[in-house]
Amino acid sequence: MAKISFISVALKNLKRKTFRTGVLVFSIALLVSLLIFAISFTVSVASSIKKSSERLGADLVVVPVGARGFAEEFLLESKNTTFYMPISIVEKVKKIDGIEAITHHTYLSSISGLCCDIMPTRIVAFDPETDFIINPWLQKSLGRPLQVGEAIAGSGTSENLGLGLLDIEATIFNNRFKIVGVLEKTGTGLDHALFMTEENLKNIIESGKSPLKKGDISIIFTKLKKGLDPDYVGRVLEGEIPEVDVMARSDMGEKFLSTLADINKIFLLTTFLASVLTTFLVWAIFSAIANERAKEIGIMRALGAKESHIVHLYLLEVLVLGILGSTIGVLAGTYLSALLADSFSLLKNISAGLSAGQQVTIAAVGLMIGTAICVAGAMMPINRIKKMEPLLVIKED
Amino acid sequence: MDHASFVGVDNISLSISRGEFLSIVGHSGSGKTTLVSIVGGILKPTSGKVLLDGVDICTLDDNRLSEYRAQRIGFMFQFASLLPILTAQENVLLPGIFNPASKKGGSDKLAQDLLEMVGIGDKKDAYPAQLSGGQQRRVAIARALLNSPDIILADEPTGDLDEETEAEIMDLFEEINKEQGVTIILITHNLELAGKAQKRLRMSRGAFVDV
Repeated sequence: MAKISFISVALKNLKRKTFRTGVLVFSIALLVSLLIFAISFTVSVASSIKKSSERLGADLVVVPVGARGFAEEFLLESKNTTFYMPISIVEKVKKIDGIEAITHHTYLSSISGLCCDIMPTRIVAFDPETDFIINPWLQKSLGRPLQVGEAIAGSGTSENLGLGLLDIEATIFNNRFKIVGVLEKTGTGLDHALFMTEENLKNIIESGKSPLKKGDISIIFTKLKKGLDPDYVGRVLEGEIPEVDVMARSDMGEKFLSTLADINKIFLLTTFLASVLTTFLVWAIFSAIANERAKEIGIMRALGAKESHIVHLYLLEVLVLGILGSTIGVLAGTYLSALLADSFSLLKNISAGLSAGQQVTIAAVGLMIGTAICVAGAMMPINRIKKMEPLLVIKED
Repeated sequence: MDHASFVGVDNISLSISRGEFLSIVGHSGSGKTTLVSIVGGILKPTSGKVLLDGVDICTLDDNRLSEYRAQRIGFMFQFASLLPILTAQENVLLPGIFNPASKKGGSDKLAQDLLEMVGIGDKKDAYPAQLSGGQQRRVAIARALLNSPDIILADEPTGDLDEETEAEIMDLFEEINKEQGVTIILITHNLELAGKAQKRLRMSRGAFVDV
């Protein structure tokens, strides 16, 4: 089919120097894949932290003084850490104005062979009467309260333990437990824990195999009355109870976010430099194209092409290059993000992941930026091309 | 000699009738290409007018001039002027994408017919590198005719061809002029070829002299 158009001429022009076209596409793809990786990494960590802290459902988290980092590691990174404070702190927190609901958890770590016949796992003991962190998920998965001697596994734990069936029994701190179900994925560090009611703690302490003492708890979660500022109430709490540290929901993950900010600066600089390099490469190649095709442009102008036709033709080449390179970059960057996720401890331990909407948005941003950089690089040579005097270039030899 | 004092065409006055076949001869640098470029609207004169059906094309802006060239002028150049990435048929169709107003432009059948008219209908899918010099000139003639121009401006179209091919190309011009009534202005340095035109003019140092 011989019928020609601007796009068919543009595509033929791109095909005539395949290697050069390939170099340009590859450069743009590299830039965009770097951009996609950087954005995916940042958004993944930030949104996971935000989601985790929201899903916990608490406005304030109270931990022993100095244990803020450990608490974040437990809740966000799924790391096995233990920290304790006396249960009497709960009564002190209850007395603070503005507290609407309060509950507490106690954390234990199992050590295979020493105390337990399961692989090292985090254990969370909760108060079923007051709990508002685990119970919502428990209701969805089990439909009834947990009994003494029963445990339920977080979604990540069940995979680690190889749990595929219900009614598996395990010895935990010399006590037999029936693991009766699997919690729905919460997207927090609680996905990697085993849950039991705190009624079981008496038996665990009596076993002598755990570091836990009677009256120890690890963490207090509070809900505030509507309209109160969590930061203000948190400061009041810390002032009244000096033996605790308090984290508001918005403060959770500060350590990660601070590390993320530093990593972001490096990504930004790298991406900026890569963008400048790509822009120059596009400029250089299109300048060469302008010189090579000067006579053809003169001929086309003599045949009746307007300046806008010439711009249209070359802009189509640029857009095809930009879109093709950016698309490859988006795919490569997305694949790289998934492949390298485990290489970064920041991503490995938190429940990092992007929603479909986020992925689409990041892909669209990558596509637009890659194409825009290609267009920006080519604009000066295209401007020069369109202003070529037809007679001068036709007569050149 | 600096550019400011260089005179390409000096005080030319020329009237060409519709359907005329005019040849202009002269040595290199006599101003033939400059004159044809002015008539074709790819060069603006320092002073003067170029009237086509009463319209002075020197007053047109770049877009209007491009339309003028697309719709009313067919160019042929001294060199093989085909785009190497397009086939013969696609090269013929090329002016059509710059002239969307033309209903005929862009038709595969028209391009095929034109290639057959110039004697190379069987080469429509060949690329310029696969065609001889003479065949490429024929494709250029077909391209010049795509938009049914009023005027064909042929600047030394047979310059680097052998005598036999030159004669064939000239015959084509004569045929186009007689059968389609297209005005042809042919630039050549070959007096014998120039003699085939109805009217002959000679240029020297930017001005007409007697033939």
